[in-house]
Amino acid sequence: MSTINLDFAEELKEYSGDTALECFNCGTCAAICPLVHDNFPRRMIRYVQVGAREKILENSDELWRCLHCGLCTHTCPREADPGEIILGLKRFVVANWRRS
Amino acid sequence: MFNPRDIIETLANNVRQTTSPFGIPKFMVNKWHKDVNLPEEGEYMLITGLMYQFTPFIEKSTQYLEKYEGTKMASLLKYAKYMPGYLSGIGLAMMTSGKEKKNAGQALKDIAFLLKKSKVDFGYRPDLDNYSGILLYDMGDQKGFVAHAKKVAKKLKDAGVKKIITVDPHTAYAIKELFPKYTGISFEVKSYFELLDFESKDLGLEVTIHDPCFFGRYLKLSDIPRKVLGNLGITEFKIRNQGEFTSCCGGPAESISPSLSNEIMEKRVEELKEPGKPIIAYCPICLGNLKKSGAKVEDLSTILARHI
Ligand code: SF4
Ligand code: SF4
Repeated sequence: MSTINLDFAEELKEYSGDTALECFNCGTCAAICPLVHDNFPRRMIRYVQVGAREKILENSDELWRCLHCGLCTHTCPREADPGEIILGLKRFVVANWRRS
Repeated sequence: MFNPRDIIETLANNVRQTTSPFGIPKFMVNKWHKDVNLPEEGEYMLITGLMYQFTPFIEKSTQYLEKYEGTKMASLLKYAKYMPGYLSGIGLAMMTSGKEKKNAGQALKDIAFLLKKSKVDFGYRPDLDNYSGILLYDMGDQKGFVAHAKKVAKKLKDAGVKKIITVDPHTAYAIKELFPKYTGISFEVKSYFELLDFESKDLGLEVTIHDPCFFGRYLKLSDIPRKVLGNLGITEFKIRNQGEFTSCCGGPAESISPSLSNEIMEKRVEELKEPGKPIIAYCPICLGNLKKSGAKVEDLSTILARHI
């Protein structure tokens, strides 16, 4: 079981906008994403919402499959900006590596 | 899939040491301008950002990555960061054929020709034409990107540059949107096709257009190439995923996973080939990636230079 980190949203602010809470998990982004891969990027947005910091770090390699093509951001009905959240998570993971 | 950390650290190291993500010295990459007589000054400064020039090297390095993806050799990549950037880059430069390097420069010669024909007042200075750092930004190396972008932007500002012409969507996005945000330095940025102005023609041709993500969605400029082509009587055969809803060519995944990149590219090529018309791209990454399928794809500048 992974732990939930309530300060994660605060930690992420340095790397990404705080639009993740806008997401209502409709799955449009995962359906339209050219990667067609295991509910990506919706799953990552959900991890952010619930503060599953360790889950993101465990699955971090997946973030770099993202092409930063922007199609998910363009079609998200809630303007949650999923593409930019993924980019923000990449920044968070890179900073984490470099600290370790 | 390669370990993203190895790839990112190698690219970041190269940019830090050599200003090029592939570690190739600029004088070996940027040669196209030697055959073109361009003034050093003008209302606009032409900044290619070196993306067209990089494509043959990207292709060569992808061929190697493709060979090693999923093998034990893939894990050796982490040692690449201990190799001086120039050393690995010169090796890559030597493995890349002269013909491919020349072809990559042709699009830039065509663009310069199109701008001259449109009576645009522009200059070119190779010392100011640097890589924008966009790959570091896309990969999430924010610190590396900002440090590099600040140097590039300052050099332009110190030279008194105010108006810039870019030729590819990635450099355009970096200078237009990211530089003001992360370096505090702004320029007026135009993509070359926004400045073209030719006599109308009635060529009666039809083409399929592949819009790059950054021109179609991020910068919302995809209607302009259509107007330029339309003015010459070249119309577009519309496909489903175009303009703001364009599909990625797969190019950005090339260094992390060549197999994933190919999978996405092949799907896109199917859509583009369906109407049976010549395919036009207007980004060097898209062009290089789509061409790998064997499909006949041309750069916007090539078709324009042929017909005006
Ligand atoms: S499309 Fe937007 S609202 Fe729907 S799951 Fe994706 S991020 Fe959430
Ligand atoms: S930006 Fe990334 S997550 Fe979004 S649709 Fe494109 S590849 Fe998928």
